Amino acid sequence: MQKKMNKDIYTKPLFKNNPITVLVLGICSSLAVTVQLKGALVMALSVTLVTAFSSLIISLMRNSIPNRVRIIVQLVVVAMFVILIDQVLKAFSYDTSKMLSVYIGLIITNCIIMGRIEAFALGNRPWPSFVDGAFNGLGYGLVLAIVAFFRELLGSGTLFGFQIIPQTWYIENGGWYSNNGLMILPPMALILLGCVVWVQRSIDKEIEE
Amino acid sequence: MNTNSNKYTIIYTTILVVVVAAVLAIVASVLKPRQTANIELEQMKTIMLAANIGEVDGQPDKTADYKALYEKHITRAYVIDQNGKQLEGVDAFHIDLKTQFNAIKNGGDVTLPVYECALDDGSMVTIFPCYGTGLWGAIWGYISVKEDCTTINGAVFAHASETPGLGGEIAQPWFYNQFDNKVLEVNGQFASVKIVKGGAGSDLNGVDAISGATITSTALQKTIAQWMDYYKGSLELAKAIITLSEGLSNSENAEKDE
Amino acid sequence: MIDYINLFIKSIFVDNMIFAFFLGMCSFLAVSKNVKTAAGLGFAVIFVLAVTLPLNYILFEYLLKPGALQWLSPDFASLDLSFLSYIVYIATIAAFVQIVEMVVEKFAPGLYSSLGIFLPLIAVNCAILGGSLFMEQRGYANVGEAFTFGLGSGIGWFLAIVAMAAIREKLAYSNIPKPLKGLGISYIITGLMGIAFMSFMGIKL
Repeated sequence: MQKKMNKDIYTKPLFKNNPITVLVLGICSSLAVTVQLKGALVMALSVTLVTAFSSLIISLMRNSIPNRVRIIVQLVVVAMFVILIDQVLKAFSYDTSKMLSVYIGLIITNCIIMGRIEAFALGNRPWPSFVDGAFNGLGYGLVLAIVAFFRELLGSGTLFGFQIIPQTWYIENGGWYSNNGLMILPPMALILLGCVVWVQRSIDKEIEE
Repeated sequence: MNTNSNKYTIIYTTILVVVVAAVLAIVASVLKPRQTANIELEQMKTIMLAANIGEVDGQPDKTADYKALYEKHITRAYVIDQNGKQLEGVDAFHIDLKTQFNAIKNGGDVTLPVYECALDDGSMVTIFPCYGTGLWGAIWGYISVKEDCTTINGAVFAHASETPGLGGEIAQPWFYNQFDNKVLEVNGQFASVKIVKGGAGSDLNGVDAISGATITSTALQKTIAQWMDYYKGSLELAKAIITLSEGLSNSENAEKDE
Repeated sequence: MIDYINLFIKSIFVDNMIFAFFLGMCSFLAVSKNVKTAAGLGFAVIFVLAVTLPLNYILFEYLLKPGALQWLSPDFASLDLSFLSYIVYIATIAAFVQIVEMVVEKFAPGLYSSLGIFLPLIAVNCAILGGSLFMEQRGYANVGEAFTFGLGSGIGWFLAIVAMAAIREKLAYSNIPKPLKGLGISYIITGLMGIAFMSFMGIKL
């Protein structure tokens, strides 16, 4: 019974309590990386790892942190994980690291991480904090992936860099289709996000401001 | 324990900072060689692509070992100063292009790298870098010039943060392959590449600009011209030598005919 | 001088933190419900950006970048501390925000009650850290440029949030489909404003 209840709480961030579409957290660093699905997924994975592990560490330290420098201590721990991820990407996946450029660094100020630390990890035991952080990261990744899916498919005709729209459809090759250049521009990410929110709230009427 | 006393706070933060710094320093120094290797490989790849080596149908060959290609094809790398004089004992490969760009902008002393590269068909090409600012951030690239010192063999460009699909297209093969076989000469005078909107037309030194990315296109044209200015001297000198030696051999032939 | 004006105008309109890069969106959406509070947060952002950017510039130039410690001793020429940049930047920002908060609380209680509540929010505002990271990436030439860029970006952010708040005040009277109300329409409006701001992109100064 206890276990069942826990599961419900943890999986809430995926839909009902989604950090991006419901709690309005962590939009900042996310939109510029959704031009391509690959970048979005690497970003989502990085955020999930950082949220989960910094929640874990902060939860372990929660009784010893001096209240006055609380925010700085949290930021230092988060920054440490972000630097680790940045360094590993630079060493093992240089292309992705180039693509994400400053946005990896901006994970530090991703509100989801600080939000979960303040709201959950500071008052809970390590393991639940870890799971809570991970699921919030996944909820974030889900929205990112949806937005990136449409942007890459409609904007470049590809998914993960593979051509999906047949070449013969294109006007240059005598067809009728041409990529929607607007999708690649940053503002479209926000408009798509607005549509995602619209769809979600139409499905689930309970979600209110 | 009182976790709010000054002493506790200071000791706590000090320990935290030391631990974090130590962890990061260890990780950074372990990963540093790999990171440097990545950056160097990237540079070798760009230089090779500029000479049209390691390309399949104009696209970068994903399976190619660019380090091996670089070591095989590059025969010499040296630097020249603002007067076109070759300098001894400078590592051309590790010259920071950005520093040189700032020097060019301010009219200061420069050390610009030049690579000499042997193609598979036995001919030699000379490869020059260029570096400048696009719409959002840095743009850079390499251009290779054939033995006649006027025809471009190939070019390749890269950018830090141009808009994908617009200015970002300068890094795409369809764009940089246009530079192949362009002539750096108009009416017998040296002329840099023109990046013209709406089609290059009949200009031998013109390439198609990217539609919707005028600023990046113009910036690239300016960047190439800026750097070419410095290399122009040595190119013209080399060309003069070629013409001279051709003239000599021609006159020798002519003498034989008599 | 013309370079500075150029950079200043560019960072307000062309490289607008919100409409071109979407940095600082969290507080942008949370605090843009009325113009007065939005302006308060906007001012705080201008102030913090304009101060932390030159500070971080100095730290990067003389402490972090490869070979930066040469002024201490030539032995450090090959030392590269740039991997610490994120942590140093965020620590500077957080510490600065905390100090400002304490100073304002002590000496200007009036200002504190109107501005102070936003200060803790700013430490985790992506626009501030983003400013420092862009500064490093774009390699500004001196402290003056860093300051100009910080000030310009701050003003750009201020303009964006005040404009947004004004629109949202009007939105309260509009007939919007229920599921789109609030968050959904705010996202879409920000997107549309972003498209409008893209028209500045062609500005050649």
